[in-house]
Amino acid sequence: MNDELEFGTAAGSDTPKTAVELNKQTESVPEAPVQRVSAHNTAAAAAFNAANEEVDIRRRGGEKAQVKIKTTKIPYEKKKGLYGYGFIALWFIGTLWLFIIPVLTSLWYSLCDTQLLAKADALEKGMTSAGIYTEWNGFKNFVNAFTVDTEFLPKLGNSLGEILPNTIVIMIFSLFIAVILNQKFRGRTLARAIFFLPVLIATGPVISVINGDMTSQGISDASQFSTLFKTDLVTELMEFIGIYNINQTFTDVIKNITSDVLNLVWNSGIQILIFLSALQTIPPSAKEAASIEGATAWEFFWKITFPYISPMILSNLVYTVIDAFVSTDNQVMEYVLKQSGNWEYGYAAALAWIYFAIVGACLGLICVIINRFVYYEND
Amino acid sequence: MTENEFDINNVADQPAENVTETAEPTAEAIAETIADINTSAAVAVAPISAPAKKEKKRKKDEYRVSNFDIIRNYHRYTAKEKKHYKYLFWKRIASYVWPFFRALIIFGLSFVILYPILYMISTSIRPQSEMNDPSIMWIPKTIRFENFAEVWKAINYPGTIWYTMVLNIVSSVLQVATCALTGYGFARFKFKGKNFFFALVLLQIIVPVQIILIPQYSQFRYFDIFGLFNALTGDSLNLVGTNFAMYIPALMCNGIRAGLFIYLFRQFFRGLPKELEDAAYLDGCGPFKTFISVMVPNAASSFLTVFIFSIVWYWNDYYVSSMYFNDSNTIALKVNNITNIISMYLDNQVGVATDYVVWMEAACLLAIAPIVIMYIFLQKYFTEGIARAGLAN
Repeated sequence: MNDELEFGTAAGSDTPKTAVELNKQTESVPEAPVQRVSAHNTAAAAAFNAANEEVDIRRRGGEKAQVKIKTTKIPYEKKKGLYGYGFIALWFIGTLWLFIIPVLTSLWYSLCDTQLLAKADALEKGMTSAGIYTEWNGFKNFVNAFTVDTEFLPKLGNSLGEILPNTIVIMIFSLFIAVILNQKFRGRTLARAIFFLPVLIATGPVISVINGDMTSQGISDASQFSTLFKTDLVTELMEFIGIYNINQTFTDVIKNITSDVLNLVWNSGIQILIFLSALQTIPPSAKEAASIEGATAWEFFWKITFPYISPMILSNLVYTVIDAFVSTDNQVMEYVLKQSGNWEYGYAAALAWIYFAIVGACLGLICVIINRFVYYEND
Repeated sequence: MTENEFDINNVADQPAENVTETAEPTAEAIAETIADINTSAAVAVAPISAPAKKEKKRKKDEYRVSNFDIIRNYHRYTAKEKKHYKYLFWKRIASYVWPFFRALIIFGLSFVILYPILYMISTSIRPQSEMNDPSIMWIPKTIRFENFAEVWKAINYPGTIWYTMVLNIVSSVLQVATCALTGYGFARFKFKGKNFFFALVLLQIIVPVQIILIPQYSQFRYFDIFGLFNALTGDSLNLVGTNFAMYIPALMCNGIRAGLFIYLFRQFFRGLPKELEDAAYLDGCGPFKTFISVMVPNAASSFLTVFIFSIVWYWNDYYVSSMYFNDSNTIALKVNNITNIISMYLDNQVGVATDYVVWMEAACLLAIAPIVIMYIFLQKYFTEGIARAGLAN
């Protein structure tokens, strides 16, 4: 109010002078930070050269301070690097102890015959305390997995055959849902809250009740959940419309995809979350420009949305594949855990390593292929 | 359709309309035609004293070509105009139809998501005898809240929740703190072998916990620091069954999904401006003090997001904790083992899951209740914080 009045009177009496003053006033606000930034830059540069240049600002402290600085012979860059080691030190010790050693141990187990021994037996075999006794047997475990074991290879094939199409369906579905949840509509917050609910629940034991298989005690009545959504929706819908048996393979493919809506929705919570956060980084200016140029929604998706989120598609794909491969519902994982439950650590470890090698190869292949289509804005 | 798009539509209409009326659309000609339209419309439609809002709407309508107009005049347009109006026409049609489809999809899928939970509620308040009654789908004949009371006592709910909460919060705080430190180290410092170490982080994300759990177990079963405990007490320390089996990995930045959190923090800190730190360095802060006093406050929202995720994953974890805790103490372990617990409590024998469905459902509801309540309050950070956490970079 006051400002306006002043402006009014000033404009009335003598315009040129006040205009300059006003300019000064408005300029003085942004001026201060600008100065500060530039001061920082020069000072930062000064600090940068602290060790070997004379322009160190800390010299103000007197001769002593200067001498002290000169005695530290480590250059600033290197010193910062050392601090970097300091920051990751805790993680590195932990990883060495809780990750690398266990990984190597498990690799060692996979090459051995293993036995779990009580203390008395363990002392006989020359161990210090009770534990897992290992004896080198070459690559017998690995050879056995491929030649003797009749269950492993079919299970491996099955789970690979299940996971790859599932991953594609999950990716398309979650991208579609993320695009929808990114639009503006009434009740969006509620819809988002509901769609992220699986993230909270699906990683826990409650999901096994929802899926109707408590592993310990057979199948509970809760299997009603999934059977409701596993009914043959597509065929029913087609029969409802009046189409019978157009093409058996075609309906089979669609049936497989749609029959498991429950699992699909409950397994793609995190993927939706990741895609949504990626979609939010698309600048509004891109959308406006496309709209003025007359792009249709379809063109907009393929020419703007898709390139922008392509790095996230890659990460999401990797996450989905890992999640599916590692999940305990997976046939191979189940089998491996069963083996280790039977105290066959060596064999279980060998199976796990074979499996992991295949997963790693798949991931590598996916990354190499997808990476050709990924667009990085910063490059 | 949002207002934004609406405006753009009208902007798009305008030049095309002028083209139809004037052969050479110079600026003057356009201004004239607009002025003409304005005066004629003003006389016909509204007096000058009408409210500004109405005026604005009227102006908008002047340049608007409705879909009916497009159909009526379609044969008169030139090829270029045809293309333009075709685009407009379909865009409008889509904007009317799409919300219905969207509502349908969202409603349907929300139903699929909520169905198990609604069914859980429905089953948990009925007596077990009504479980196999085909005449009951949603609303039970008799409502029985004792299921909850019995489960409450059987799993010692308050004690279990308290224990789980302490375990989770301590682990999550430790994990978030150390992961943030590590992530900052990776984001802002250049040192030899950084790429190698970061590849290790990625490996941590990829390698399933099942592969390393058994060797890890023996690390905790026979816990020793350079043979120190063995020398002092004659035997190594047994940490299995104590909370330290969860706290120590969290403290060492190797807790549940630690690799993912390091990655998130690294991405986030990389996105913060460097000037922040330079200022702190000039003021004489060391890197660690800079991190605590400058970077942490700036990253508060991302800390909260990661913390929530950490809590959720610790809360739900039963695989790792079942390895370390022989007696099921945490809520996830109890739910995983609920059939035995309930049947022992009610009938003093080990039963079959099908006989105890209602109690199982009640236990599930009790188990997810605290985390869902937390989610309701912190929903904003859960869904919006992650964008800021730099996941999208």
